[in-house]
Amino acid sequence: MTEELKVAIDRKGSGAVLYTKGYINNVGGEEIANRAYELMDDGVRTLLLNLRETKIVNSIGISILIEIIEKMMDKGGRIAFCCLTPVIHKTFQIMGLANYATIYDSEEAAAKELAL
Amino acid sequence: MPPLVRRFSDFFRDLEQLERTAARTEAVLEVFARHTPFPRGALYLRDRDARLRLAAKSRQFIAPEILDDEPPAELIASPDRVIVPLRSGRDPVGVLALAAAGVYEEQDLDLLRAGAVFLSTVIANQRLTQEAREGDFQLKYRLWELETLYDIGLSIAGTLNIEELADEILFRMISLINARRAALFLREGGRFKVYRSFGDVRSDFLDDELTTQLLEAGRPISFEAGADCIFPACTTFVAVPIRGDNEVIGVLAAADRETRDGGIGVFDENELRLLSLFANQVAIALENARLHRDALEKQAMERELELAATIQRDILPKSVPSLEEMEIAALARPARQVGGDYHAFFERENGATLLVADVSGKSMPAALLVSALHAAVQLLVGEGRPLGEVATELNRHIHSWSAENKFITLIMAAIDREAETLEYVNAGHNPGYLLNDGRVDTLKSHGLPIGMLAQSKYMTQIRPFPSGSTVVLYSDGITEAENEAGEEFGNERLEPLLDGRASPAELRDRIGAAVDAFTGSAPQKDDQTLVIARSGSGRMRNQP
Repeated sequence: MTEELKVAIDRKGSGAVLYTKGYINNVGGEEIANRAYELMDDGVRTLLLNLRETKIVNSIGISILIEIIEKMMDKGGRIAFCCLTPVIHKTFQIMGLANYATIYDSEEAAAKELAL
Repeated sequence: MPPLVRRFSDFFRDLEQLERTAARTEAVLEVFARHTPFPRGALYLRDRDARLRLAAKSRQFIAPEILDDEPPAELIASPDRVIVPLRSGRDPVGVLALAAAGVYEEQDLDLLRAGAVFLSTVIANQRLTQEAREGDFQLKYRLWELETLYDIGLSIAGTLNIEELADEILFRMISLINARRAALFLREGGRFKVYRSFGDVRSDFLDDELTTQLLEAGRPISFEAGADCIFPACTTFVAVPIRGDNEVIGVLAAADRETRDGGIGVFDENELRLLSLFANQVAIALENARLHRDALEKQAMERELELAATIQRDILPKSVPSLEEMEIAALARPARQVGGDYHAFFERENGATLLVADVSGKSMPAALLVSALHAAVQLLVGEGRPLGEVATELNRHIHSWSAENKFITLIMAAIDREAETLEYVNAGHNPGYLLNDGRVDTLKSHGLPIGMLAQSKYMTQIRPFPSGSTVVLYSDGITEAENEAGEEFGNERLEPLLDGRASPAELRDRIGAAVDAFTGSAPQKDDQTLVIARSGSGRMRNQP
């Protein structure tokens, strides 16, 4: 295992799916934020974060994810998450992310609901 | 609307926008530049350390990063610039330093004073909102820490697979203390070996000096790392011992605690306390996993023993053959841990061939070797070859087939009723006994055990075996049977029992009972085998 985070993006019209692989910490969170803000500047208003290959998130990563959610909400868009490990799912619920972003079990379920 | 009122109105409308949009600090200067004759300047805001730190400045406006002077109580005006304090109540929140574009009037300064009051309120509100959000975040974060510790007691302790457990431990620890890298070390002798790591480690073992420190301290150790840190190029380091029931069973180590401003900080007291609590939970989880693994290994071993016992049961003769003028009796008592005793009977012209063997080792490996011996013996003896040739061929076959340290002690005896002879081969086995006319002769070993040396050759030995003679073959499980004091039954207790007048069945029962009486309640450690035959006349037939 390594600590480096990798991000991949699948653009779908005015939406996009952002795939993460690795640790969402300060460095990883900033990488996600930069890519998410680029997408927002490019008109994306529905962003799904697929965390299937992420097993660890720390508190700084969470605060960055909250900033991304708020920024998207300011622009009238929405952010959702899918494919979380049970530990990360619980973490998001406790830290309040689940109040502002919907969490889906699978990418298929999210894509159907978000029309991606 | 009078121009002055309109000017105030426009200025405040723009300032209000700042509050609504939680604006960038540069926007503050833009609003002041738009509505006052001060187009350039700098905005300083009080930071967490109560210092006035530059938040925004106009292009080409020279301003230091930190303002050392305390903000003035009132606006200070000079012909080319003004210093405007920003206060919320009595608390200074910042300073505006603005450069004049030209001559300005008193009403411009009034506009600045009013704007500063409004801006101060906006900044104070934003700060309060931010602090409330951070407080909320911290509260939730503390709750999450508690939940994590609680979860470790449940979900981790429920993870009995040590591989999965190691990942779970690392992931949760990294999250809990905001570390960038971490490793789990488990005890291996007197050292601690890396079992799982997140990020590279420079060595498989924890540094000896650090190990000593941890064992002595018994609690977390944290320091700013140097070049010898186990994580390459790490800045800060922490390690905590995992204390099992009797000793430290492992170590959790982590490096580079992330801070909110994007830097790396030392692991603070709160994190060390959390790590200690975490290590306590991990100790329980690891002990549970270890016990579970031991139970699984025991289960697997029992399954293997059961299978080996089945193999051996299927191979050994199901019944004792009966010959009209030859009596044969046998005893086979397998030990709980399957050993490697084997015996067989073969019909031959004018008599029978008897065999007792003991394969080295226990359990499945021994059972497999017994199986190989059985197949080879059935083939070779069945061909009617002389016993010496059988043993030589058997030796060659077993040596090439079995593992290096596997061998078989074996005694074969062929009775020829008509010739009244007994041919035998003893390859490293206990001496057999020949009972005739009140005399007890031994059939001693005259060669190495089967399978020990590829070149071994065995010669058939021959003895007179007149009608009424008895041959007794046995395994070392008889003579080496131990009593509770650890004493062996021995040949000295066996030989007085060898009365040639008794039938083979009587001898078998007598020896079996004597061994039982000697061993008492001591556990049987090895297979016990006895094969006894007395000559007579007639053909061999199997009884059910």
